[in-house]
Amino acid sequence: MQLTQQQREELKRLVLPLLDDLERFALSLCSREDLAEELVAATIASACESFTRLRDTTKVKQWLFRILSNKFLSDCRKQSRHKEIGLTDSFEDEDSQFSLFAEVSQPFLLWWGNPERELISRIMDEDIRNALDTLPIDFRVAVVLCDVEGLTYEEIADILKIKLGTVRSRIARGRSILQKKLWHHAQDLGLVKTKEAQL
Amino acid sequence: MKANNKNKVKTFSCEQAIKLVFRFIDDELRGNHRAELEHHLETCRHCFDRVEFEKLLKSRLRQLNVGGSSKKLRQRIETLLEQF
Repeated sequence: MQLTQQQREELKRLVLPLLDDLERFALSLCSREDLAEELVAATIASACESFTRLRDTTKVKQWLFRILSNKFLSDCRKQSRHKEIGLTDSFEDEDSQFSLFAEVSQPFLLWWGNPERELISRIMDEDIRNALDTLPIDFRVAVVLCDVEGLTYEEIADILKIKLGTVRSRIARGRSILQKKLWHHAQDLGLVKTKEAQL
Repeated sequence: MKANNKNKVKTFSCEQAIKLVFRFIDDELRGNHRAELEHHLETCRHCFDRVEFEKLLKSRLRQLNVGGSSKKLRQRIETLLEQF
């Protein structure tokens, strides 16, 4: 759809200040700069096509995030390389109740040590990105919107068109799986010992 | 680890508190639940540490990908916007 000059200027005014947010969101989902750029470009192209249907311009950020989320989820489902991680229900309940804190903390140390804080300080950003990248896509989107973008549950529900309870559940399960990945990674690197090994 | 109940303010058990930790760190807990959890955290070192840990991990995620959009992307988007 061809926009009028006035509509195009209005769209620019609304969209350009949000480019940083869009790129960060896309990068957190894709973890590759080239894919993130493609995703942002596809989002803007789609926004141009449907701009005349946007009724509330105060919600333009949510609108753009919704387009980007939908494109990401749709692309992932189409691509066979994501099949093995795309199924939200393929994770066991024990994955969704895992707590890194429970594995690492040593309450008897009281004031003399804080192994869980030490572990967090030794985990690299790249390790967190890699763990995030392995989350089932629905959980990844919810965790990124909450933790990376700092949106409220209500905003996330609005963007993803899901219920508040589903937002809570996806964030909780996503975080638990993320923590389990970080735990295994920390074990592989020898950053932590299992509780059995500490005895 | 057991919650201290001596001042008669209603408080949670650790098990109840842990279930609300994520909503608490996301600032999504309101009213009585929030007050009761805060009271529990004042009296339970273990749950307090758990909350601090979850906040720390959340802040690490928040710091990922900090920085402005690339100049290349900005130019690409500006060109794209001119095409519609």
